[in-house]
Amino acid sequence: MSQIDENQILDRLKNLSQVGPTKEASDRAMQKVRDTLMSEKAIPKRGTGFQPVRTRPGWPCHVLSLKAVFRRRLPLFLVKLAAAAVLMIGAGFIGGRLSAPEPLNVQELQAALESSLKSSLEPAIRQELLSQMDDRWQSTLTVSQAQIKDELAQQVRRDLMEFAAQTLAASGTRTDQRLMELIRLIEAARIQDRRRMAAAFDYIESRFGNGLVTLAARTDELLDAERVGSAPDISER
Amino acid sequence: MDKSGADLYTLLTRLTLREDVAEELMQELFIKLNNSRGIGSVANWNAYARRAAINLAFDWRRSQKQTVLTLGQVSEPVSNDDSPLGKLIHSEELTETLDAVGRLKKSSREVLIMRYLQQESYDNIAEQLGKTSHHVRALCSRAIRNLRDVLGSNDHQSSKKEIHNVSNR
Repeated sequence: MSQIDENQILDRLKNLSQVGPTKEASDRAMQKVRDTLMSEKAIPKRGTGFQPVRTRPGWPCHVLSLKAVFRRRLPLFLVKLAAAAVLMIGAGFIGGRLSAPEPLNVQELQAALESSLKSSLEPAIRQELLSQMDDRWQSTLTVSQAQIKDELAQQVRRDLMEFAAQTLAASGTRTDQRLMELIRLIEAARIQDRRRMAAAFDYIESRFGNGLVTLAARTDELLDAERVGSAPDISER
Repeated sequence: MDKSGADLYTLLTRLTLREDVAEELMQELFIKLNNSRGIGSVANWNAYARRAAINLAFDWRRSQKQTVLTLGQVSEPVSNDDSPLGKLIHSEELTETLDAVGRLKKSSREVLIMRYLQQESYDNIAEQLGKTSHHVRALCSRAIRNLRDVLGSNDHQSSKKEIHNVSNR
């Protein structure tokens, strides 16, 4: 499997061990490290909880090199100046925050708004509500009044019709009763008249029966005689 | 700082093969050491700084694998061969070796770098790492064997790729 032997590896490692920077490069690198450390000490970071960007794990090397280039180009006094500017800005910010008016208390504002709105809007809302209720009641009562009037008229009409019908029926009955009573009285009167007539005839018959028969017979004879006597005169004429 | 700083800069130059990158990493290393809170409790400052430098250098190498290099960023090869092809091959070999070193375990990598790149003695390494010289020898031997395996697997993969490319043509 292995196509490379230990000697070749050792040769390569030996070549690697011979790689080295020049003295100038080494001095330059050391000087840069010193400068960097001095500028790091000028801005203390320990204890602030802030971790420098370049020391964050996983930060790409090209970004690190850019940072280093920045640092290489920036002299120390610029760094100090920047730090002073940051301090000034921070002091200004803190002063502004301290001198700024206190933030509004939301609860107080809400309570004030609530009371103000209540005092200004409640009478109007109440009035409006009352007027709406009145209108609604008025319209409801108007409709109800018309309905009640109609119902009442119908009821009165029905009652009158019923009363008329009952009155007619009662009067018809009373009229029939009166008529029947009248008929009975008339009948009774006729019967009584007949009885009286019969009694009179009986009395007459009992008192004047024979005379009457004689009278009737003589009357009849007279009549016959007159009928016979008058007849030749007629024929003579 | 002067002595250890120069050594660290040399080490970073060897591991990155670029002086400008070594400069940047040097600054980053010292800033990191300066801001490190537990630096006061470190017993062996040199070993701590060397380990941090090695880690930084190989982190940089790893990040460089993921970025496309522009022509201006290609390092100047260090070689005795004056021909451009020889310089290129030499540079490729060194880069490949360093990449393979980066794939070793941290302990093996540190021992290998101290022994073969910084040319320190076994006794010195053992003293710095708190191990016996025999243990350091064993670690070096194992590191070389692992490095050979890594490089061999790389060659095997590259030759397979070449064969595959030829067969595709």
